[in-house]
Amino acid sequence: MIEFRGVNKWFGPLHVLKDITLSVEPREVVVVCGPSGSGKSTLIRCINGLETIKDGDLVVDGQHVGERATNMTQLRTEIGFVFQQFNLYPHKTALENVTLAPIHVRKIPRAEAKSAGRELLAKVGLADKFDAYPAELSGGQQQRVAIARSLCMRPKIMLFDEPTSALDPEMISEVLDVMVAVAEESMTMMVVTHEMGFARKVAKRVVFIDAGAIVETGTPEEFFSHPRTERSRAFLSKILRH
Amino acid sequence: MLTNFSFRTIVEYLPLFGQGLVATLWLSVLSFAGALAIGIIACGMNLQRSRLLRAPAKVYIDAVRATPLLAQLYFLYFGLPRLGFILPELVVGVLALSLNSGAYIAEIIRAGILSIPRGQVEAGVASGMTFVQRMRLVILPQAFRVTIPPLLGQAIVLVKDSALLSLISVAELTRAGQLLASDRFMPAEAFITVAACYLLLYYGLKGLARGSERWLGSRTVRSRA
Amino acid sequence: MIWVQLHSLIGSYPLALRGLAMTVVLSLISLTLGTLIGFALGVLRADDSRTHSGVIGAWVDLIRGTPFLVQIFLIFFILPELGVELDAFTAGIIGLTNLASCFICEIVVAGIRAVPTGQVEAALASGLSRWQRMRQVVLPQAMRVVLPPLVGQYVLLIKDSSVVSAIGLTDLTRVGWLVVQRVPNGLLVFALVGLAYFIVCYPLILLASRLEKRLGAAHAEVQL
Repeated sequence: MIEFRGVNKWFGPLHVLKDITLSVEPREVVVVCGPSGSGKSTLIRCINGLETIKDGDLVVDGQHVGERATNMTQLRTEIGFVFQQFNLYPHKTALENVTLAPIHVRKIPRAEAKSAGRELLAKVGLADKFDAYPAELSGGQQQRVAIARSLCMRPKIMLFDEPTSALDPEMISEVLDVMVAVAEESMTMMVVTHEMGFARKVAKRVVFIDAGAIVETGTPEEFFSHPRTERSRAFLSKILRH
Repeated sequence: MLTNFSFRTIVEYLPLFGQGLVATLWLSVLSFAGALAIGIIACGMNLQRSRLLRAPAKVYIDAVRATPLLAQLYFLYFGLPRLGFILPELVVGVLALSLNSGAYIAEIIRAGILSIPRGQVEAGVASGMTFVQRMRLVILPQAFRVTIPPLLGQAIVLVKDSALLSLISVAELTRAGQLLASDRFMPAEAFITVAACYLLLYYGLKGLARGSERWLGSRTVRSRA
Repeated sequence: MIWVQLHSLIGSYPLALRGLAMTVVLSLISLTLGTLIGFALGVLRADDSRTHSGVIGAWVDLIRGTPFLVQIFLIFFILPELGVELDAFTAGIIGLTNLASCFICEIVVAGIRAVPTGQVEAALASGLSRWQRMRQVVLPQAMRVVLPPLVGQYVLLIKDSSVVSAIGLTDLTRVGWLVVQRVPNGLLVFALVGLAYFIVCYPLILLASRLEKRLGAAHAEVQL
């Protein structure tokens, strides 16, 4: 579904992605973790073209990302992206946020989109917040709306860029619960996160990236209990402290 | 017309344009200095607690900002002689420009002062400073930094506004253009040259503004609150 | 003496009304056209397309770097030589609309740039096209930033309309100039002219600052 082949990227002189080779199969859930500045966010943002790759090949849903022949706008309708900062549209209600793209991009009739939207919002636990504006919602609620917004497009792939890093601790689990539910419905997912409990529960593989390069991959069990490299061990000791 | 655009005539009139350019610069500098003085005083009055001091300042600022410069210019030009002041056009012009820009400068300074966080004032008060000391040592130095860019912006506006003085026969750049246009029936040559001269002044002042921003930026230590 | 003058002034009532009407009509037409054109250019310019941005940028510099009086002279005296038949009113409309479009374009660009990039990224990630992004996400949020300076700009443009009196257009300022020839009381005549402009402009100035206060406070991005 997603395949990185020898992908490289530079920000000026800084080499932020080094020879990334990684593939994600359909219905697979892959968790990407690493210290800050490791390039994990850049990695996931390349998949839907928010960042461009400078070298190598990136194939998503059979299409080559970054090549002129590829219609990125069309491809993005198949990829859902959840941001760390939620990025909900402040001038639209929760329901309007969720139905905006389906109505204008997929050209789904308004009534149909709205009922699908309500269904999704109810599924993420916000049945009473259809007409609320983002400013009236807590961080956890906003992120759940953001997830519903991506899901309403019925994408083939869901990408999560540190979805809980900007949340107060008590709201993290409500968002993770929704993500677990998405995973259990056999969605292809790539999640950049530090939440190890989540990884253990639903991830098929954990990818550890540091300083732009993939250091280690393995099942959650392997990675958390028996990390093979020194850097993985150092990283794990820091985040498992609490 | 454009086929026989006469560069020779422009060159012939260059001394006149040169004089006009210099005159525009001079009266802009004078007017700006006057405007600064008026603006500082008006702003100072406007920030006072006493209504007696604030009212005239507010009336002045509001009246100037809601009426066109040309109307203010004619008001002085036609009105001052009635009060017994027979002044040369140049003086009337500089007075009008100073009074006009003074009001805007007063607002610029006020915005700059109000942009200083309350905590700064409170720190000054807590150290036992008087109003004047607080202003001099804490508020104004910081406000200075903030006000320089918009002040330079107002300077640019003032240079452009000075063109209106040509309408009361002050010898400056636009008037030079009017003379060429009427003497030789060459409005194109005249006003294109005039426009080019103003653009020179404009880019010069913009360069100054950019340079000052860089200079100010390097000297300040941004405190990360 | 003053009674004679006042009598004469009141006799100028029809002329004054014509002048006021001229100023109002000139301003309304130019501001409306200028807003439409300015918005269109602003959206184009904010698009980061080098060619658009460069050409529009050069034109903006030209308009911002020269006095409006000179622009009016250029339009009024030169266009006829290029074959365009022009009367003072049309020249005034062209000049003021041109000026308005330029400044409004800049205001719109600033408003669009003020919308957080996260919003654009979210719209991008949903697969919205460039035009849909602009219309559904960027422009509505940009309006909050655009409205106060836009109203302020309207005030400036109404005042700038007085410059058109220099090419003989009988607007409010020119009426003052004409009347003062017959009623040599500059203070009184232009105080009245000023009052007329004040009545039109001051409410707009108040509106601009009220908008600034209300929209500025609400501009706080959705808090995390």
